[in-house]
Amino acid sequence: MFEEDQDTLAAEYVLGTLSAEEREHAEALLSFDPGFEAAVRQWERRLGELNVMVEAVEPPAELWDKIKKEVSPDTAPADAEAAHSPDSTSTTEAASPHDLDVPSTVAAMASDLLLVEKALSSPSAETAADALPHASIGPPPLAPQSPHLERGADVIDLAKRVRRWRGLTIGFGAIAALLAAYIAVSQVAPDLIPPQLRTAGARLIARTEGAGRAQQDRLVAVLQQQPTAPAFLLTVDTQSRTMVVRRVSATLETGRSYELWLIANRSTAPRSLGVVGNDEFTQRTLPGNVDVDSLRSATYAVSLEPSGGSPSGAPTGPILFTGKAVESLPASPPPPKPAKT
Amino acid sequence: MLTQAELIGLLAAVAKGDAAAFEQLYGATRAKLYGVLLRILGRPELADEVMQETYLKVWKMAAKFDPTVASPITWMVAIARNRAIDIVRKKGEVSIEDEPDALNVAADTPPPLARREMNEELKRLLSCLGKLDPEKQRIVLLAYYSGWSRDQLAKKLDIPVNTIKTWLRRSLLEIRACMGT
Repeated sequence: MFEEDQDTLAAEYVLGTLSAEEREHAEALLSFDPGFEAAVRQWERRLGELNVMVEAVEPPAELWDKIKKEVSPDTAPADAEAAHSPDSTSTTEAASPHDLDVPSTVAAMASDLLLVEKALSSPSAETAADALPHASIGPPPLAPQSPHLERGADVIDLAKRVRRWRGLTIGFGAIAALLAAYIAVSQVAPDLIPPQLRTAGARLIARTEGAGRAQQDRLVAVLQQQPTAPAFLLTVDTQSRTMVVRRVSATLETGRSYELWLIANRSTAPRSLGVVGNDEFTQRTLPGNVDVDSLRSATYAVSLEPSGGSPSGAPTGPILFTGKAVESLPASPPPPKPAKT
Repeated sequence: MLTQAELIGLLAAVAKGDAAAFEQLYGATRAKLYGVLLRILGRPELADEVMQETYLKVWKMAAKFDPTVASPITWMVAIARNRAIDIVRKKGEVSIEDEPDALNVAADTPPPLARREMNEELKRLLSCLGKLDPEKQRIVLLAYYSGWSRDQLAKKLDIPVNTIKTWLRRSLLEIRACMGT
């Protein structure tokens, strides 16, 4: 069932079990599908009660100073809508005729899981449990009594990741690597690239040192639903303002057209970039009024529309594939963090 | 301890740019959010970062909070959790050999919350969870509290990933049916 699938996607998104790619897909849906957003909010509400049982931990006092600095009347939303009446409460009085049977095993399991500490090596953790200044909402938190279990620093187990990727026919990391290779080849031997993929003015992208992201002129987005089946590959040249869309595994449907959308952020409507995919390669100049920052940070989506594209200027058919642009060269390691005093 | 209504009032004031209300809101909610984040992220430095991002988002989006759809703390925790899970997913899996064995806890752990300390929604959720098989309950709780991915769950519980996927799907459908709303 499509609706069931959508709801399960929403549930797993809230639960947290989606993979990175699936999360991106869900986030794209969240930004323009109000039905999906409603499903997500419902699941947040259903599962949110579990937070009551998480023990509260005092953050460092300096944290407030940092937050305070970032927060000013300038950063507040420009037009704060009229606040909802403080008298309205959202707690529903569950008038259950029978006392709910909460198996002690479930409650016990939940609290067992919570009591296992995760790398709480800060010495204040012990006093935190006693000195909580009404910080918790709901029942008092459980005082952690299990010994603090030391955990090493974030161990990114590369061997494990590689093993997992080998199982995939073409994982996301592999695609990124392939695309990086493509870009390298296009610099060195452009004749090897099919003519449609060569964009005018391809050139070496200089990397600038220093803080902040190096600006990339070449963006790549892989539009897909599952990591094993990229449907469309999109390359964008922000200098020449052209894009090339390559239909990879999406099947052509008679009487329907694929349409490409740019979704800049959650509050703007998706922007059509036209029908794509009738040929294997579609090359197009981007509309003049799309700014480069949007191109970099947007989500791209492909929907299935009636032949010729959406009649309404907004997606009318299902959004099938989504992706975000990535820098087309392998990222350099992040600059070292300045030492904290 | 602030009541639901008080928190809603604070959020409404924050939506109008009231910095004092924001400070109060922070005071009332910081430890809960920090606890949730530490559990998922493990490292205090990461938790600090996400705390900052979360409260900045709360400051900016307070006007969008709808008390008919969520409670203040649930709304704020959802913002924090979302960001935390984004980070954990993208960073790649943290080696779970370092994960303490979540399922075998020493006998001297404190008892769970007394039933009278739970609100109605929590009771309802726990009773619905209670209808699932213990293995499925474990998976749902581990996923929610610790932010484990399907792969981590599969590895830790020695169950194939596809089974985890199926079980999650079924469990969530059953929870939805059981909770009704």
